[in-house]
Amino acid sequence: MSVVRLSGLSKRYGSHPALIDVDLEIDQGEVFGYLGPNGAGKTTTIRILLGLLRPTAGRAEVFGLDAWSEAVAVHARTGYVPGEPGLWERLTGEATITYLARLRDDLTQVGRARVIAERLDLDLRRRVGALSKGNKQKLVVVQAFMGDPELVVLDEPTTGLDPLMQQEFHALVRETTARGGTVLLSSHLLDDVQRTADRVGIIRDGRLVAVERLEELRAKAVHRISARFDGPFDPAAFAAIPGVGDISVGHGSVELRVPEGSLDAAVKTLARQRIVDVEITETDLEEMFLAYYGASTHAA
Amino acid sequence: MRPSVTLEAAHTQRRSLVVWSAALAALIALYIAVWPSVEGSGSSFSKLIDDMPAAYKALFTNGGGVDFSTPAGYLNVELFSFMAPIVVLVYAIGTGASAIAGEEDRRTIDLLLVNTVSRGRVVIEKMAALIFGVAVLSSAMWLSLVIEGRVAGMDVPTADAAATVVHLGLLGIEFGALALFIGAATGRVGMSRAVPAAIAAGTYVINALGTMVGWLEPIRRFSPFFQYNGHDPMHTGLAPTAVAVSITSIVLLVAGAVWMFRRRDVGT
Repeated sequence: MSVVRLSGLSKRYGSHPALIDVDLEIDQGEVFGYLGPNGAGKTTTIRILLGLLRPTAGRAEVFGLDAWSEAVAVHARTGYVPGEPGLWERLTGEATITYLARLRDDLTQVGRARVIAERLDLDLRRRVGALSKGNKQKLVVVQAFMGDPELVVLDEPTTGLDPLMQQEFHALVRETTARGGTVLLSSHLLDDVQRTADRVGIIRDGRLVAVERLEELRAKAVHRISARFDGPFDPAAFAAIPGVGDISVGHGSVELRVPEGSLDAAVKTLARQRIVDVEITETDLEEMFLAYYGASTHAA
Repeated sequence: MRPSVTLEAAHTQRRSLVVWSAALAALIALYIAVWPSVEGSGSSFSKLIDDMPAAYKALFTNGGGVDFSTPAGYLNVELFSFMAPIVVLVYAIGTGASAIAGEEDRRTIDLLLVNTVSRGRVVIEKMAALIFGVAVLSSAMWLSLVIEGRVAGMDVPTADAAATVVHLGLLGIEFGALALFIGAATGRVGMSRAVPAAIAAGTYVINALGTMVGWLEPIRRFSPFFQYNGHDPMHTGLAPTAVAVSITSIVLLVAGAVWMFRRRDVGT
């Protein structure tokens, strides 16, 4: 069952097209990573899903409900981390979650929020205005998860969170899917989503240019091999490895790139020589990702 | 259902309402303290005002007559013609502008709206908080007049003063509703403050000078200031027609605010 369904979704701001004809389905229980440079249309998509923006054309459905006209029903089942977390500066953390729990007509969420705040090491007694950027981000994350929502929509949620807290955050994401929930996670960094995402969609200049399973993306991951040999070797043998690229042969050394699927052949070819030194590194998924989709992208 | 948005808004402004009320009480105390010397100089003070150019006089007395011989007349000119409306309008327009546009400006609108409270309900609850705030200020004004007047031995007409602060409150709520309407329609705080302030100044002048300038006379009755004190509530009490006109304007503005807010993008 698809929890989110976008069909022909477009949004213009005046004459500027922010989103162009986006089709996407996100299934229940899935973590969907929504990737693209800043200004590509991620936040616009997300704010349409939450009924804050009205589509210019096309439809956005959440739980089969229209995201605009049935927004309140969608909100009852959705948690949200906004890209620009505006909080009421004069309230304490505790007052913030109590207020939000009341706006959802469910005060039991306050107890759950306290537990999550504890896990994220967030002091709810302090005034929001006095919190650091990272702590404000924690508070926004707390309120998104405190209702155990069926769908969590996160716009750049890990901004400002230190690595330890990011781990805790990813645990919250996994717990959500473990109980059948669905997560939409946007970021401009692949690294942010690759730990948890099942699929990723890439948006650029308002168009959804690709949707892939993360494991397929990983299979395309390229490894860089550099080796030095003691004695002569046959460069042609390396050229015969399927998918090989960027071979450069030096004095008793070779450097090349092979896809993950050809690693075995590459290592066996290497092993035929007498090796002095060898280094195999996985190129950053990020880099590879940019090579595939980001070449013409000018990040904002 | 619990009006959470209203309660939160009222709770947030509790301190500022106390300060506003205290400032009003102090202002009224000042006017009351000055009263004996005005009363003492009696006719000479009235004569001074009478000798002013008519247009000038009309502007500062909101078109009303000048009568310094009684507490009611004195308070009408000194307090209710100019100072009290300014205080109430500054509060109401500020609160109305921050109700929706302010939440957008501070980027809190996303977290406010992404709950099970509809946009229409947010507008109405914010309006309720504004009405509450204006009611607090009006009541503080009336209580100050009655209590401080009694302490100082000034004979304040209790019922007429109550009628006047009711009309004044309605005036404030009207302009607050206008600010809220513009905020709901545009999301822009600056415009939500500036436009009602400009309209308040314009309609004030229309009402004040309408008694003197022939071509202003027919439109004078459309000024909210005319509904407020065109009938001189410090002497004649509540005017049901004026109350009805004010309430109708407020209802229309709030309905318009709901309608506009429900159909537009927020936080862009």
